[in-house]
Amino acid sequence: MTTTDDTIVADAAQSTQPEHDSPAEGRVESRLSTWKVFLRKPSTLIFLPLLLIFVLISFVGPFFVGSPSATGNPTLLPPGGAFPLGTDDLGRDYLARVVHGGQISLLVGFSVALLCMTIGVVVGGLAGYYGGFMDTALVKVAEFFQVLPGLILALVAAALLGSNVFIIVAILAITMWPSCARIVRAEAMRISKLGYIESAKAAGFGGIRILWSDVVPNAMPPVLVATSMTVGRAILVESGLAYLGIGDTSRPSWGALLNSAQAYMQQAWWLALFPGMCIFLVVLAVNMLGDGLNDALNPTIGRVK
Amino acid sequence: MRAIAIRYGRLLVSSLLLFVAVITVLFLLLELAPGNPIQSLVGDVPISPAFEAQITAAYGLDKPIWERYLIYLGNVFSGNLGISFGTNQPVLELILSRAGNTLALAVPSFIISTTLGILLGSIAARTRRRWLDSSISGIAVGLFSVPNFWLGMMLIMVFSLVLGWLPTQGKAPYGQEGIAVQYMVLPIITMATSELAYKTRIMRASMIESLSQDFIDTARSKGVSPRRALWRHALPNALLPMVTVSGYSLGFILAGSVLVERVFGWPGMGLLFIDAIGRQDNQVVLGVVIVLTVTIIIVNIVTDVVYGIVDPRLRSQLVRRSTTTRKTEVPA
Repeated sequence: MTTTDDTIVADAAQSTQPEHDSPAEGRVESRLSTWKVFLRKPSTLIFLPLLLIFVLISFVGPFFVGSPSATGNPTLLPPGGAFPLGTDDLGRDYLARVVHGGQISLLVGFSVALLCMTIGVVVGGLAGYYGGFMDTALVKVAEFFQVLPGLILALVAAALLGSNVFIIVAILAITMWPSCARIVRAEAMRISKLGYIESAKAAGFGGIRILWSDVVPNAMPPVLVATSMTVGRAILVESGLAYLGIGDTSRPSWGALLNSAQAYMQQAWWLALFPGMCIFLVVLAVNMLGDGLNDALNPTIGRVK
Repeated sequence: MRAIAIRYGRLLVSSLLLFVAVITVLFLLLELAPGNPIQSLVGDVPISPAFEAQITAAYGLDKPIWERYLIYLGNVFSGNLGISFGTNQPVLELILSRAGNTLALAVPSFIISTTLGILLGSIAARTRRRWLDSSISGIAVGLFSVPNFWLGMMLIMVFSLVLGWLPTQGKAPYGQEGIAVQYMVLPIITMATSELAYKTRIMRASMIESLSQDFIDTARSKGVSPRRALWRHALPNALLPMVTVSGYSLGFILAGSVLVERVFGWPGMGLLFIDAIGRQDNQVVLGVVIVLTVTIIIVNIVTDVVYGIVDPRLRSQLVRRSTTTRKTEVPA
C-alpha cells in the first residue's frame, strides 16, 4: 500500500508544478499563488463578500423575517417604517418574500451548477481522454442543445411534465451540462498529451486511475470558472421560467415575484425593483468572481502585449 | 468542387438528423406527459367522443409506440403541425401569422447587437486608455448579468411610466393595424442588450488575439498606420469567431423573444407560445418549438456556408479536410 501512497504524493507534487509541456499556455504561476492572486484582486474583495451576504440573507434571513404569506397588512404600502421593502398587492411583507425567494433562486443556481460540473467532468473527461464513441456522442448532444435552446426545452418540459423545483433543476442541468463537458473535454485532450500522463501510463496505471487522479485534477481550474458562470446562467434562466409562470407557485423565487410585479408596475415600483436587483447583483457577483478566477489562472491573456 | 459538395452534403445530413432528434425528444416528452395521451395532445379542453375517435385515427393512438412515432415524424415533415384547439386554426398558419411580428424585433436586435458588439469590442481591445477598456468590459459584464426581461420592465418604468416618452405595451396604438416605430424602441433595446454584451466580450478577446499575431507587426513595420492595421488587417481575422457567434446568437434572440414579448405584450411567436402553454394548447406549443428549431438549423447552415466563404484558410484546406475525417483531432 505504501507504494500507491508514494505515487499519489508524487502525482500531487507534479500537478502543482508549472506545465512546461505546453508553452502556449501562459500558466506560470503555481496553483497556490493563483488563489492568492485571485483573493487579492479588487473585484474579489468587493464581490465575494457581496455574494456571501446574499447567501447569508437567503439562508439565515428566513429565521428573522416574518411569514412570507401572512396577509392582513395594508396593501401596496411603499417601502419604509415597519416594512423596509413595502407590502405587495395582498398586503404581504415584501422583505419576507424577497428573503424567502432568494433561497429558491440560489438553491436552483448552485445545484444546477454542481450537477453540470459533475456530469461535465465525467462525460467530458471520458470523451477527451478516450475519444471514440463518447466523444462523438458529446459533440452531438452539445449540437442538439444549440439547436433547441434550453429555455424553450425547459418551458415545454415543464408545461408537459409539470413544474416543481426538482423538475426545474433537472431540466436546467440537462440543458446546461454540455458546455461544461466541452471545457473538460478540451482540457482532458490537452492534458492527455503531456509528459506526466506518459509516465503514468509507463508506470502501468489503468486508464480510469490516470483519468481520475491526473487528468481531472489538472483540468479543474477552467472547470471552476465555467461552473461559476453556470451558477449565474442557471439563476437567470430559472428567473425567466418563473417570470413566465413556470415553477413552484407555493414557494416563489425572485423570478416568480417579478411575474406578479408586472401587473403593478404603475402603482408599486418596489415590487419590480427589489427582486430584479437581487438577481442582478448575485449573477453579477458570480460572473465577476468567475472572470477574476479566469484572469488569475491566465495572467498573460486579456491585454495586448 | 467535389470536396465542397461532400462538405455541404454532410452538413445537410447532420442538420436533418439533428432535426429528427429534436422531434424525437418532443415526441418522448409527449409520451411521458402524465394522463390520457389524447388529452395531453389536445390540451386542457373538454372533447367529445366523436372528436376523440377522430384524433385517435389521425395520430394512430391505438397503434404501438414506434408506429405512432413514425406517423408523428411524417406529419411534421409534411408540414402538418396539427390544429390549435384554442382557435381551431391550423398550427402552422397560426405561427406564420405571428412570425412577422417576432422578426420585426429580432432582426433589428440582431443587426444592432452585432455591429455595436464588433465596434465596442474592437475599441476595448485596441485602446491604450485603461478606463475605456474597463468601462466597456464592465458594462458588458453588467448587461450579461442582468435578467433581460427585468431590464425591459425597468425601461418601461423609466421611459414609459415616469418620463412618458414611449408606450408601455403592444405594437401599435389601440385599434390600429401594423407596427408603430415608437412601440419597437424599448423591446429592441431589451432584446439587443444581452447579445450585445456577449458579442462585445467575444469580439474583445478575438481582437486582442488577432492584434498579437505576427502579421500585425509585419504590417506596422511596413509603415501601415495603426488605424489601418486595426481595421484592415486585424479586423477581418478577428471577425471569424464573430461569424459563428452571430449565427448562434439569432437562436438565442428568438428564444429570448419569449420573455421580451411577454414583458411588452408584443403579439409575436413568443407570446403565442406562452399563451399556448398557459391554455395547455400543446399542439401550438410543439409547433412553435418545431418552427423555431427549423429556423435555427437553417441559420446554422447559412452560418457554416458564410464561414467557409469568409475564411480563406478553410477554402484552401477544403480538399484536405474533407479527405481526413474528424478523428484526426482526437488523440488515440
